[in-house]
Amino acid sequence: MSRPTHGLRDWLLQRLTAIYLGIFLIYLLLHFLQQPQHTYQQWHDWVTQPAMIIAAALFILALLVHGWVGMRDVVLDYVHAIGLRLTILSLIGLTLIACGLWALRVLLQATA
Amino acid sequence: MTTQRSEPVYLNLLRIRFPVGAVTSIAHRISGVLLFLSLPLLIYLLELSLQGPEGYIKVLSYMGNSWFQAGLALLIWSLMHHVLSGIRFLLLDIDKGVTLQAARRSAWLVNLCAPVLTLLYLWWVL
Repeated sequence: MSRPTHGLRDWLLQRLTAIYLGIFLIYLLLHFLQQPQHTYQQWHDWVTQPAMIIAAALFILALLVHGWVGMRDVVLDYVHAIGLRLTILSLIGLTLIACGLWALRVLLQATA
Repeated sequence: MTTQRSEPVYLNLLRIRFPVGAVTSIAHRISGVLLFLSLPLLIYLLELSLQGPEGYIKVLSYMGNSWFQAGLALLIWSLMHHVLSGIRFLLLDIDKGVTLQAARRSAWLVNLCAPVLTLLYLWWVL
């Protein structure tokens, strides 16, 4: 089984997603720093602003890519037995996809 | 042919020196894995908090639990360290601070700022 490797592409993807994730997370941290207490209504309205829903959906997609490349690199470095490696990588991939779909559903249900 | 040592190997842990940059780097990996593992919990909390006023109050009540606070502290540290060391790696990628002295200094800065910012943040938010 051979497959082209995409080292440079993944290296670049990891950094581009990192920049977006970093900006969004710093924005979140600053928001909670500025306003630690919300009522339910304030919290719900803040999350469901259209701009926030779009930014959060993008965040989820970027997180899936970033988490996959990062976790895969860690597994490839430390797990050498091929069967175990494939099992762990599959579990990580499935977990990420499931988490991504779940998070998107949470956003959609909140806007409904 | 493999030769096997029969006598025990003595490792003096106090004499193993880890360069500070290696600590920053391995902590970047550990914090990344912790953040990945915490995803289901975080999505669950987000879902609960958006389901209605009852769910939201339930999430707030978790915040008062000391086990939850300990987990939250670990998670915030992971986030702080991962983002700070990530910014450091991005700067190193574009050749900023690559001299040994500057790289060591920024590694110390990241390693120390992450726990300090974590404590300050929790103190402020909780």
